[in-house]
Amino acid sequence: MSELQANISGIIKSSVIDGPGNRMVIFFQACNLNCMYCHNSHTIGLCNYCGICAEICPTQSLIVDKENKQITHNEATCTHCDTCLKICPEDSSPFYKKMSVENLISEILEVKDFISGITVSGGEVMLQAKFLKEFFTAIKVHSQLSNLSILVDSNGNVAQEKWNSIIDWVDGFMIDLKAYSPQIHKQITGFSNEKILNSIQYLNLKGKLKELRFVLVPDYNNSNKEIEQISNLMKNLSSDVKKILIKMRKHGIRGKYTSLSEPTTEEVLKAKNQIKEAGISLTVI
Amino acid sequence: MEDIKYRVHEVLTDGNLDYKQKKHHLAYIAESTQAYPNVSSEAMKALSEKVICDLFEGSAPYRPRYVLPDYKLALKKGVAYLELDPPSDFDEAINFLSILYSHIPSITGYSVYLGNIDQLLLPFADELSEEAIYKKLKLFWRYIDRCLPDAFVHINIGPEDNIIARAVLRIERELKQVVPNLTLKYDTEKTSDALLTEAVKTVFEVAKPHIANHNMTASDFKGEYGVVSCYNSLPEGGGSHTLIRLNLKKITDSHQGNVEDFISKTLPQYCQMTLDVIEARTKYLVETVKYYETDFLAQEGIIKLENFSAMFGFYGLAECVNTLMKNNGKDYTYGHNEEANQLGHRILEEVKRIVDSRQLPYCKANDGKAFFHSQSGIDIDIDETAGARIPIGDEPDIYSHIKAVAPHHQLFNGGISDIFHFDETVKRNPLAILDIIKGAFKKGMRMFTFNLSDSEFIRITGYLVRRSDLKDFREEGSRYGSALFAANSMDNANIDNRKAKRVNSHERTASQY
Ligand code: SF4
Ligand code: SF4
Repeated sequence: MSELQANISGIIKSSVIDGPGNRMVIFFQACNLNCMYCHNSHTIGLCNYCGICAEICPTQSLIVDKENKQITHNEATCTHCDTCLKICPEDSSPFYKKMSVENLISEILEVKDFISGITVSGGEVMLQAKFLKEFFTAIKVHSQLSNLSILVDSNGNVAQEKWNSIIDWVDGFMIDLKAYSPQIHKQITGFSNEKILNSIQYLNLKGKLKELRFVLVPDYNNSNKEIEQISNLMKNLSSDVKKILIKMRKHGIRGKYTSLSEPTTEEVLKAKNQIKEAGISLTVI
Repeated sequence: MEDIKYRVHEVLTDGNLDYKQKKHHLAYIAESTQAYPNVSSEAMKALSEKVICDLFEGSAPYRPRYVLPDYKLALKKGVAYLELDPPSDFDEAINFLSILYSHIPSITGYSVYLGNIDQLLLPFADELSEEAIYKKLKLFWRYIDRCLPDAFVHINIGPEDNIIARAVLRIERELKQVVPNLTLKYDTEKTSDALLTEAVKTVFEVAKPHIANHNMTASDFKGEYGVVSCYNSLPEGGGSHTLIRLNLKKITDSHQGNVEDFISKTLPQYCQMTLDVIEARTKYLVETVKYYETDFLAQEGIIKLENFSAMFGFYGLAECVNTLMKNNGKDYTYGHNEEANQLGHRILEEVKRIVDSRQLPYCKANDGKAFFHSQSGIDIDIDETAGARIPIGDEPDIYSHIKAVAPHHQLFNGGISDIFHFDETVKRNPLAILDIIKGAFKKGMRMFTFNLSDSEFIRITGYLVRRSDLKDFREEGSRYGSALFAANSMDNANIDNRKAKRVNSHERTASQY
């Protein structure tokens, strides 16, 4: 077995909202976008062992060992107050774990009889494409797991060769689109979107794009022009790709972004109608 | 006598009861004038303290608790007593069954089993279009709900996918009736994913059907079986004379000594006492009342004494385990700790061993042994959790839940049911439920169902009520006898803490008057 490890921020063993059927979802730490409305901002960065979280923890449940790059977390005393997550200057967390392919496989084996498949999510999973390749291969060659479907939930912000390295093992990709115009995309995420748009086209071409999700953020990406361009993009995708309009929700977003407003019912309806008028079948959630 | 007069008067003047319900209660009071079948004074004391509970079967059993007529045979031969010839088409078959249903005895006054309805009607459905079948069945379903208004009235479908099973599920979703309660027999080989998906969508709407592991259940019976009342599995053409249940919580509370003493002394002592009550009641029904010689169902072979046995039930396992653990200085709870779960399994295995080693008269259907049943609880159970379930509101995640309860499902040839809770979001993904059903059966589960948060239907213990019926009943009485039962359950148990539920039933009724 290889020594490769990934930073895993969490595992949900039963999820009914991350693809068809009951699925095990594995969340990877670190992201290459920085969305204003990120609900799990503590999965964006990697820890640099600064120790700030340990100092602030009201129950002294954390010990940061800078030298050995290790954090010890005392489950018994932790009150899950999340102070450590909120304070972390790196948008990281003291809780994510390094796990090997073997570790993950044994987690799946525990629940294999109850699931249709696994979904990997983030953070941004494609940042760990090398690990994914090994992980997915291990699933597909495993006699008890080969029937499981593999879905990848990604922001699409990677180059084509990354997709190529895993595409054969993956049943479908679910990609988020934050905006069409690069400027607006940059406002929302801090980065431009050329790679993302290319990824969407490429995965569609390969017949592996399963879902395209557009998150509606008032005053940013809900202008007529923006929606029109999104509609055009959606229209050119295969009809097998599920198109979803998601209302931005403020739940769990960082303090500095609380001035963002959730779309009103009218705003959602307006965007929905505009997309539907372009002849696209759309799901709103 | 003064006491009886008073009780009768209470019933007569209770404005929450309709005419039929009053009659049912009056009969119960009349029955209570008879001496209880002959059991030891110890057992009588346990009965009066509800350590052993006969679930309001009454003091002089004059009909079996669970009757599962061989409807297939009746349809083939006709019923002389009711002057019914064998039906020759779909309409006649429905009419035939409607008449027969109203003559099947039970404790509640309404038949607890209406048959494996798709199998019964399929032979008459050949010539009919899907729409025609749907229309006729829909009227039949309305008849069942209006004329047999009791949530313990139970009907089965499956395991094969067929036009009638599908119509039934469609009608269930449309009519949203409490009655009949419904079980789908599921067989990995025979039941299609499409039918299972239909069933799951129906669960989303009306909190039924219950899903039964067909192969596992069928292998416990010599012939055909049915799932009846609140998830009792029993032989067709027979049933159970009686169901007596042991309150594991109460015997633990009064137990002095350690776990080993409990298992070697207290438990066997009360199990034998429970079996004594079962034996006495069975003998009374068979020998004194001579039910099986005199009732037309038996005379015409629609039921046979040789297809009957009795049921040994229990409840309050969770409290029993938790108390034993605590007395042992361990704060481990059932459903959450492996050692506690293991103790639970050990207790159940011991009870099963005791039940299986006692020969009972007139229990041929199970070779002289009682069927072992994890009883789903009734409204008076305030401090006890149903059967071997994990207490409501205290259930762990779905996998831990299945892991905790699956190992003992194989013990219960008389039936067991567990309830899993899901958030509404699962409605968008029925496939997820299919995955869990299949996984749970792979782990050896026998029967279970799902509750959804905010469902209009509330599953109380083994049966269902509509939320609105409960509210109405509290205000002005309900057409369903079981709404009374349910109102009590809601008041007594933490049922409303649970994510979703509903119901109606005549089981306990008159005992409170
Ligand atoms: S989690 Fe954040 S605050 Fe804590 S040591 Fe790592 S970088 Fe510092
Ligand atoms: S969640 Fe709160 S108690 Fe737990 S480690 Fe973080 S700061 Fe400490």
